[in-house]
Amino acid sequence: MSQVIVIGAGLSGLVAAIKSAEGGQQVTLISKGLGGLQLSQGTIDIHEQGLAGLESPAPHPYAAIGAENVLAGVKYLAKLLGPEFLVGDAKKNVYLPTAVGAIRPTALIPPSMAAGSVRDGAKWLIVGLRRLKDFNASLIAGNLSRLELPGGGSLSARALTIDVVAREGEVDSSALTFARAFDTPDFRQRLVAAIKPELQPGEAVGLPAILGVKQHDFWRELQASLGCEVFEIPLPPPSVPGMRLNEALTAKAKALGVRFVLGSYVSGFTAAGGKLVSVTVATTGAPQEFKADKFIYAPGGFESGALAMDSHYEITEKVFGLPLHGVAPVEELILPDYWDEQPVFKVGVSVDKQMRPLDAAGKPVYANLHAIGGIIGGAIRWKEKSGEGIALGSAWAATEGSENV
Amino acid sequence: MSSQGYSALGFAGHELARASLDHCVKCTICETQCPVLAVTPLFSGPKFVGPQAERYRHGLSVDHSLDYCSSCGTCTLVCPQGVKIAELNSQARAVMKAGHMPLRDKLISQTVVMGKLMTPFAPIANAALNVGPIRSLVQGVIGIHKKAPMPKANSRTFMGWWKKHTPAQPATKGKLIFFHGCAGGYFEVDTSIKSVEVLEHLGYEVVVPKQGCCGLAQQSNGLYHEASANVVKLAKELQAAGDVTIISSSGSCTGMLKHEAHEIMGVTDPALADVGARVRDIMEFLLELDEAGELPHDFQPIKMTVPYHAPCQLKGQGMGLPALEVLKLIPGLTVVESGAACCGIAGTYGLKKEKFDVAQAVGKPLFDMIKATNPDYAICDTETCRWQLRKGTGATVDHPIALIHRSLGLS
Amino acid sequence: MRKLSADVVVVGGGATGSGVVRDCAMRGYKAILVERGDLGHGTSARFHGLLHSGGRYVVADPESGAECARENAILKRIHADAVEATGGFFFQIEGDDESFADKFIEGAKIAKLPYQEITAAELLKREPRCNPKATRVMEVEDGTIDGWQLVWGACRSAEAYGAQILTYHQVTGIDVVGGKVQSVRCLDRKSGEEVVIDTAYVINCSGPWAGQVAALAGCHDVNVVPGRGVMVAMSHRLVNSVVNRLVKPADGDIIVPVHTVCIIGTTDVKVEDPDNLELPRAEVQKMLDAGELMVPGFRESRAVHAWAGARPLIKDDRVDASDTRHMSRGMAILDHETRDGVGGILTIGGGKLTTYRLMAKNITDVMVEKLGDDRPCRTDQEPVPGSENGKNYQVSHRLHDREEDRLEDQIICECELMSRKMFTELLRANPDASFDDLRRQLRLGMGPCQGGFCSLRATGIACAEGGWSADKATAALRLFLKNRWIGLWPILHGDQLRQAALDSWMISGTLNVESLPASEEVVL
Repeated sequence: MSQVIVIGAGLSGLVAAIKSAEGGQQVTLISKGLGGLQLSQGTIDIHEQGLAGLESPAPHPYAAIGAENVLAGVKYLAKLLGPEFLVGDAKKNVYLPTAVGAIRPTALIPPSMAAGSVRDGAKWLIVGLRRLKDFNASLIAGNLSRLELPGGGSLSARALTIDVVAREGEVDSSALTFARAFDTPDFRQRLVAAIKPELQPGEAVGLPAILGVKQHDFWRELQASLGCEVFEIPLPPPSVPGMRLNEALTAKAKALGVRFVLGSYVSGFTAAGGKLVSVTVATTGAPQEFKADKFIYAPGGFESGALAMDSHYEITEKVFGLPLHGVAPVEELILPDYWDEQPVFKVGVSVDKQMRPLDAAGKPVYANLHAIGGIIGGAIRWKEKSGEGIALGSAWAATEGSENV
Repeated sequence: MSSQGYSALGFAGHELARASLDHCVKCTICETQCPVLAVTPLFSGPKFVGPQAERYRHGLSVDHSLDYCSSCGTCTLVCPQGVKIAELNSQARAVMKAGHMPLRDKLISQTVVMGKLMTPFAPIANAALNVGPIRSLVQGVIGIHKKAPMPKANSRTFMGWWKKHTPAQPATKGKLIFFHGCAGGYFEVDTSIKSVEVLEHLGYEVVVPKQGCCGLAQQSNGLYHEASANVVKLAKELQAAGDVTIISSSGSCTGMLKHEAHEIMGVTDPALADVGARVRDIMEFLLELDEAGELPHDFQPIKMTVPYHAPCQLKGQGMGLPALEVLKLIPGLTVVESGAACCGIAGTYGLKKEKFDVAQAVGKPLFDMIKATNPDYAICDTETCRWQLRKGTGATVDHPIALIHRSLGLS
Repeated sequence: MRKLSADVVVVGGGATGSGVVRDCAMRGYKAILVERGDLGHGTSARFHGLLHSGGRYVVADPESGAECARENAILKRIHADAVEATGGFFFQIEGDDESFADKFIEGAKIAKLPYQEITAAELLKREPRCNPKATRVMEVEDGTIDGWQLVWGACRSAEAYGAQILTYHQVTGIDVVGGKVQSVRCLDRKSGEEVVIDTAYVINCSGPWAGQVAALAGCHDVNVVPGRGVMVAMSHRLVNSVVNRLVKPADGDIIVPVHTVCIIGTTDVKVEDPDNLELPRAEVQKMLDAGELMVPGFRESRAVHAWAGARPLIKDDRVDASDTRHMSRGMAILDHETRDGVGGILTIGGGKLTTYRLMAKNITDVMVEKLGDDRPCRTDQEPVPGSENGKNYQVSHRLHDREEDRLEDQIICECELMSRKMFTELLRANPDASFDDLRRQLRLGMGPCQGGFCSLRATGIACAEGGWSADKATAALRLFLKNRWIGLWPILHGDQLRQAALDSWMISGTLNVESLPASEEVVL
C-alpha cells in the first residue's frame, strides 16, 4: 500500500510526488495522461508584479499558500533540477520575448533563455525557420522593435528566415522535430552556416526554443560557433522547454521509486471518519482501488477537465465533488468582450494552510486530502503569470511541515 | 458513401470513440509521444489521423497514410483529455481496408493457423525462416519483410506439455484459469509453463480450458468481423471454465479481453464483459497478492541489472507497470525501465515489408538502451515485442515471470 | 474621388445581390456590385447551411415546396462545389402529431417532391445518433450549401462576364435627378476614397438593410422587419444527413451537417437593428434542448460556435397583393417608380437562399422589362467557376487534398485543414483583407480550437509573406480573436470551455498578446 497518492502529473503533482518520496514515503502517482507541464513555456512564473504579487489578498491562492511557501517551493525546484535547468532569482522578475514579439515577465528561466532578458539598446537578430510555422521572425522582430521596455527604453530587432531542414521529405516540421534534429551535430552545423553570414556585430541571436531535447546545453556551443549571445524563445505547444522540465521531473520521480499509474482516471473514492480511505481508478477490465494515508490532488483546472461546466452552466469538480469558490450565474462568469478578464477561470477550490479543500463552513472536507496547483481558485494564472508559483507553493505547503508528513 | 465503410463502422464501437474526439484540445501531447511520428514524416501523426481527420470521415478513409499508425496505443495512453485516438485510427483503418485486405495482413493475423502449421515442422520452419532467399520469397509473395523478426516455432506446444503435466504439490488455495494466448500456446511456450508453475508453487489450482485466439492480430489488421467472432468465442470458452480469476502471461491478449475488443470494435457480448473484468495479467495478479499481503517474500537473490521494456499494449491497460513493482521484491535485482514508448513491432506492424524500416527506427533507441544496460538479458511482457527485441539486440529476452520463476528456485 | 460607370449598380453582396449581378452580367449589362463589408458577411451565410428539398414547405405551401425542389436541382449543378448532396430525413418522435406525417405526404404529392417513407429502423441504421423513439420517417433530397462559396462563385461568374465587384464599399448616397436615378456614391472603406458610379439603374439587394438603402434614394418607409435566428455549430457531424423534425415548423427543428460541423437552427425573434444582433443564452439553450430531442446526447456534445442571422422580411402595404407575376414565394419586389415616383431603382426582400437564383432572375426580369429589352436569363444554364466538373462537395475533400500535399506544404489551420498555400494565395489576391474575410473562404479558425493555434500562424504569414507590418498584423490578430469570441461566449461550456482555457494559456500565458502596444493601423 502507498502512503501517499498523488493524482495528476503536472508540475505540482510531480513535485509533490518527488518531495514525498524524498521524505521516505511510498508514493503512487495516478494520471489520466501526461501532465500539462510540457505545454508550458518552460520558465517558472511567480507573478507579473514580482514579490508584490505574492501578497495578493484572499481569495487569491497566494493568500492561503503564503509568500514563504512559494519562495521555498521555487527554491526547492531550482535545487532539484540545478542550474543546467533553471537560473535566476525568484525575487526578481526578468522580461523575455514571446513568439509574437511581446515581452513577458517571469522569474526563473532556463539558462538557454537568459540572453533574451530585455535591455535598453539591445540589438537582436531573430532567426525563424521556414519549415517551423509557429515562429515567425518578421512578426516577432517587428513587434519587439515597436514596444517600450519596462522601465523605459527600447531594443532593435531584425528578422532573418532561413530554411534549414530538420527532416528530409517534410516542410511542416514541429518544434519537437527540430529539437530532435538539433540533437545531431550535422543540423547544428547547417544552422550555424546559415546564420553566421547574416550576423552583424553586436547582435544577439534569438531562436525558437528548439535547441535540443535530449541534451539542452547546445546553446553554449552555438554561442561559441556564432561568436555572439544566443537565446531561445518559447513557442506554443509542442513546447520543447516544457518537455525538458517534464521529462527531467518524471525521471527524478521514477528514480525515487514513485509508482506511476498512467492512462486511467480516478472514477470514485471511499471515505470514513472524515478521511479519505481509497480512490477507485478506472483501469481497463475492472476498476482498481488504491488505498493511502494521504491524498494529494493535483489535476489542473478547466484546461484539464478537472473543473467542468455543463451545458446548464453548472460547474463541478469532477473527482471528489469538492465545494467550489467563485461560482456565480454564468452572465457574471463569462463576459462578451474577449479582452475582459473572464471570472469563470477564477473558480476553484479554496484551501487552508495545508492546502486542504474547505467546505462552506471553512472546515477541511477531508482531513487527509490536499489540493494543489490549478484546481485552487482565485487567480487567472495565464493573465497574471502565476501558474508555476501557485503550483510549486501549494505543492510545498501540502508536503512540508510535521502535520503534513 | 462506401457501403464497405458503413459495414465496417456499423460493426465498430465507433460512436464511443467518435464522441471522444470532442475532448481534443489540440494540445499536441499525443504527437510528442508518438513513436512512429518521431522517426518518419510518412505518418501524419495521431492528432491528425485521429480527432482531426475523423471530422472529415463519413464512411471513407481517404488519407491512406493512416496505415503508418502502428496501433501501439501510446497516443490514447498519454492523452490527458480522454480522446480515444488509437481507437479512432484503428477504426479508420478498418474502413480503409474493408474489402481490399492484403493477403499478408490476413495471414499474419491468423496466429493460430500460423502456429499450428509451424509446430510439427519446427526445425524446418525455423531453418526456412532463417534462410535469406526463402525469406525474400516470403516477402515478395506476402509482403513480410525478409529481415522481420519471426517467432521461433517450438517443437512442443503448451497444451502438449499441459496434458502430461502434474503439479509439483497439491493445491492449498483456490482455483485459477490460465489463458495462454496463441503465442503462449505455440511460440512462447516456456513463458506459459513458467507462469503455471509459479501459480502452482503459490498453491493455486490451475485449470486450462481449450481456448482459441483472442483476435487481436486480426483487429489490428482491420479484420473486425473475424476478430469479434474470435474474441467472443474465446470469452465463452474461458467463461465455461468457471467463475474465478483468469490469469494470462500474454500482455497484449489480456488487453484485448479487458478493453480493446469493446472499445475498438464495439463488442458488447456479456461473456466478454464478464471475462474482461476477471482477467489479470500475471504480474498484475502477483502485485495484487502482494498488496493484500498474500505473496510470500521468499525470493532468492538474483544479482543482475536488467533492462525492462513495458509493452504498449500492457501500458494501455492503465494499471501502471506491475512487473516493475513485483520485481522490486527480488533481492539483488536492479530493474531499469526502458522509458521507450514502443519497440516498433506493435503486434504485426514491424513484420510488414513497407513498415520494417520504420519499426526498426522506432526500436533503435530501445535496442541501444538494452545493449547499454545489459547486452545479454532483458525482460518484456509481450511476445512479439520479445521477438523484436531479440532480433534487435541479440539478447535473451524473457517475460518477467521468468525471473520470478528463477527467484523462487523453480529454474 | 474615383469615377465609374455602369448600366446597373447592385447594392448588397449577399446571395441575392450576387445572383443579380451575375444575372445582369450574363444578360450583357455592365454591372457593378457594391457591398459595404465582405461578400456574404451578412444574412447569406448566417444561416444553417440548408439546401432545401422543399419538404419544409409542403404542408403549408406546396407550391413553395415545388419551387425549392426545382432550384435545389439547379444549384446542385451550377454550384456543384458549394453543395453537398447529403440527403435528408423528416422524422417524428413518439408523441408527435401523426396527422402531420399524412399532411406531409399529401403536400409532397401536390408539389411532386421526391420523397420516400422509410422505417424508423432504416433511419437509425443510416443515422445512429437519432432519437431511437423515432416513429414515422420521410427521406427527402435535402442538401447542404456553403453560403460564402455560393456568393463567391456567383460573383466570380459575374466577373467573368465583365462585372465589377466592390467589397468594403458603402453606399453613402443615391443621386436622383428628375425623378430618375443618376449615380450611386460610395465610400471605399479601406482606402477612405469616395467613389461615384454613374448609372441609370440600382437594384437594392441589401436584405435587412434594404430600408436604409432605399431611403438614400428618397424612397421612404420600406419596412424591413428583421427576424433574428440563432444557430449553434457542434464540433463534428453528429449526423451526416440533414435531419428535420416532422412537425409544424418550430424553433430548432433541424440539424444540418455542413463541412466538418453540424448546425442546429433556428429561432425567429423580431429585432430592431440588423447591425446589432444579440445572441441570448436563452435561445442557445433552446437550441440545445431541441438538439437533445433529435439526437440524444446532444447537450454533452461539443458546441463550438454560435451566430445570429437576420431574415430580411419586408412588410409593405404599398405592394399590390394581386401582382404576383414577378414574385417568388416569401419574396417581395418593390418598384420604386410606381411606389415612390423614383425611376431606376428596385428593391427586393425576403426569400431564402435555396431560391436565390430564382429571386435574382425575377427582379432582373423586372428591370429588363422596364428597360424594354429582350434578354433572357441563362443563370441556370452554366455552372459558376469552380463547379465546371459538376462534382458535389464531400466532407472528405480537404482530407484528401492534404493527403496529397501535406509533405510539400504546411497545414496552418489544423482543425479545418487549411494549407499555407491556400492562405497565401488568397491573401495575395486580397492584400487588404482581414483574417475574417479570409476565414469566410478558407474556414481559418472555424474548427474546434477556434483560432487558438492557427491565428498566430496566420499573423506571422501575413507579416512575412503578405508584406504587412507587425503593427498591422497584430491589429488583425486582435480583431480576429475578438470576433471569434463573439460567437464563442454565448455557447461556452463543456469541452469548448476547456479549449478556451488552453487557448488562453497560449495566447495570454505563453505569448502575452494582450501586452503588445496598440496598433497604429486599423484593420476593418
